[in-house]
Amino acid sequence: MQKYLLSRLLQAVLILFGVLVLVFFMVRIAGDPVNLMVPREASEEYREEFRNMMGFNRPLLVQLADFMGGALVGDFGNSLHFKEPAMPMVVHRLPATLELAGAGMIMAIVVAIPLGLIGGFRPGTWIDSLGRFLGLLGQSTPSFWLALLMIFFFAVDLGWFPSFGRDSIKSIILPGFVMGFGGMGALVRLTRSATMEIRGEDYIRTARSKGLLPKTIYIKHVLRNVLIPLVSVIGVSFGYSLGGSIYIETIFAWPGMGQLVQQAIGWRDYPLIQAIAVFTSVVVVLMSLLTDVAYAFIDPRIRYND
Amino acid sequence: MLSFKRYWIAFIVAIAGMLALVACAPTTVIETVVVTEKEEVIVTQEVEVVKEVEVVKEVAPPEMPVGTLTVALSTFPNSLDPPQTAERNATNASQTMFDGLMWVNDDGGLDNALAESVELSEDGLTYTFHLRKDVTFHNGDPLTADDVVFTYDRGLNGGFEYSYLFERAKSWTKVDDYTVEMTTEAPDPLFLRMMATTLIQPAGYHAEVGEEAFVAHPIGTGPFMLVEWEKGDHITLAANPNYWQEGYPKVENLIFRPIPESATRVAAIQTGEVDIVQRLSSEEAQSLLGATNVQVIRYPVDRVYYIAFNNLTSGLDQPTMDPNVRLAMNYAVDVDAIIDALFDGFATPAVGFVTPGNLGFDNADPFGYDPDKALTLLADAGYPDGFEMDFACPAGAYTNFEQVCEAVQGYLREVGIETNLDLMESGQYWDLEATKALPPIFGDSWSSTLGESINRLEGALGGWDASYSAWSDPVIDDFMAQINTEMDTQARADLYGELQVYMRENPPFIYLYSPNAFEAINSRVQDYRPRSAEDYNLFYTWVAGE
Repeated sequence: MQKYLLSRLLQAVLILFGVLVLVFFMVRIAGDPVNLMVPREASEEYREEFRNMMGFNRPLLVQLADFMGGALVGDFGNSLHFKEPAMPMVVHRLPATLELAGAGMIMAIVVAIPLGLIGGFRPGTWIDSLGRFLGLLGQSTPSFWLALLMIFFFAVDLGWFPSFGRDSIKSIILPGFVMGFGGMGALVRLTRSATMEIRGEDYIRTARSKGLLPKTIYIKHVLRNVLIPLVSVIGVSFGYSLGGSIYIETIFAWPGMGQLVQQAIGWRDYPLIQAIAVFTSVVVVLMSLLTDVAYAFIDPRIRYND
Repeated sequence: MLSFKRYWIAFIVAIAGMLALVACAPTTVIETVVVTEKEEVIVTQEVEVVKEVEVVKEVAPPEMPVGTLTVALSTFPNSLDPPQTAERNATNASQTMFDGLMWVNDDGGLDNALAESVELSEDGLTYTFHLRKDVTFHNGDPLTADDVVFTYDRGLNGGFEYSYLFERAKSWTKVDDYTVEMTTEAPDPLFLRMMATTLIQPAGYHAEVGEEAFVAHPIGTGPFMLVEWEKGDHITLAANPNYWQEGYPKVENLIFRPIPESATRVAAIQTGEVDIVQRLSSEEAQSLLGATNVQVIRYPVDRVYYIAFNNLTSGLDQPTMDPNVRLAMNYAVDVDAIIDALFDGFATPAVGFVTPGNLGFDNADPFGYDPDKALTLLADAGYPDGFEMDFACPAGAYTNFEQVCEAVQGYLREVGIETNLDLMESGQYWDLEATKALPPIFGDSWSSTLGESINRLEGALGGWDASYSAWSDPVIDDFMAQINTEMDTQARADLYGELQVYMRENPPFIYLYSPNAFEAINSRVQDYRPRSAEDYNLFYTWVAGE
């Protein structure tokens, strides 16, 4: 198992190195980065001063080494638009995004797993049909559309929830629901198909023929095996949602990372975009690493493989 | 079998339920459309209605600051530190905490603010500002000449993006505690206007807390004091009890909430969560016409959209070097139809480069749509069968501008001018524009901030001296030079007028339109008066029923 984890760790480091190189060249690929970063009205002198300040007049390799060195300690320079260090801004947005991603994930899990399990055990029943319908609906509903629909129905027409912001516990219900709705769709379908597949496995038939109670079979044998694909999907998609949902956070004016991405791109704030890109990559890589670790615990085949 | 059937019925009911939920959206939209048609006329009168309310006030504004005013902003202010604010929402928010030596009143005129009086020397080069003696910063420090000098030193040498704005002054010196002398290189008619946007920062407090702490929590002499700034979420301010303008401000708490999505702003004004929403589309504004407690405001914006010609690089040797061809292209485009189709009629056709709010707005008539005249002009110029030309426009930068460019392309095609329209990502577009590498005709827009169109003229027509200009005309250069040194306002207005006539006869652009801005306020908000530069003062704004 150590060998397994070690190789995963090595992969993660390599991926992050690749990400850093990509992010570094992202700004320089279109030519002079000064033109991308400086406002239209800026004078020629300011352009020169800026070029000097950002070090764009140095050899590319020196710049790359400098960027890598900075990145290792989380220093991506100052945000051009917001005039403050980029990485702390990103980190400051994490709690809001974590809250929203968490609420969405909990909602998705609470609805999706029971529906998927029942659907998998009893295909063709009305619960199964409901689950499949919700699954399809969740996966095919555009989140920005659903978000606006929710705002106009529940905030404007009914007045039950605030239409934007992160002020009280009530604020999270609408964005959390929209966030969870799409994930729920995918999870229902996955849980259902995994359950159906495992139901037909030989070891379930064996358990049944041994005369075990259905309850024992479902919980000890089916559920545990369904968890394996579920954990990997939940882990990775949670990682992605920690990068922030641009649409949902922007529409609900939710002060998380997705909203920061929208602002950073809108203002062509490259240091900030670079910080966000690297931070998000680190989170995604870490989450998949954690998922791999969790895997090893859930799946004995991985644990005993060494 | 029976129970199976029952399940199916339940399932169908469930689907119907889902569909009913889903169907809410179209229903809402249909209602909106009905309202729009019914009340379409009202929107044009809305501004006047607001004004009437001001004249016959049934409720007087309060003596003491009361209530809370919540303003939704379309972006997150990047900074509240005056020299670092990078866009309109940031300057508007910052302006509630600071004052300049002068201020631009609601009629566009210039009044004294922190300066009690100003004297200009005979040669027009030296300004002597006498400061008010009763002004204090939010920490209690009195305003003195040192603060004015500090503001200029910091603005010029602080390493800020917009430091060039401070180069307009040649020197600034303290004469005594309440007198500052400033000089300019040459007579500068816009110098005092600049003073209105140069907000005075406290030298003492800045030295005490340092740059970083000042930027994080700036203080000024303004009507509101910063209480809390949760970045990306809200800016909370409280009335300054010692504000130097007696009886102001009128509201006790002022809150800015950034809501980047305009549809959400439309929702938030209806729920009453915010009192003022800006930057709505005309469709959104119209959808709010029937809403209770919501008032829609419309005003012309100080910005001109145009298709520029190039006579510096790519346009040389092109048919557009001939003024008749450029005139023909102006007659060929039906700007009114574009305004009707894409902006619901809410925009003003542009001619010249001076907008209705600017000094010297002269009635050089818009060209109007006259394809026959265009054809005649083209034939006279030696292009009876038209010609072919490259054409570029930025994508994603301005409302509906891609469609505007496509419409222009269509109109030009009708008089035989075939254009190859390239809609480019705007970042790449500005890069090419900065190096004058765009095709011979290209779309753009330019705003202006000082109540006059001179910086728009210089920016778009400054020739090789201006980064984003592709046009140079000695006659226009001469006009601009005169305007820049003519201190007499009336004489300057006349120069703008003459220039507009010249620019109609020798068009450097296909003139398009000046857009309208749409905002909505809660009916309890009184005396909210946005101006054509999309700025506003909130010290006199109040909320009824508090």
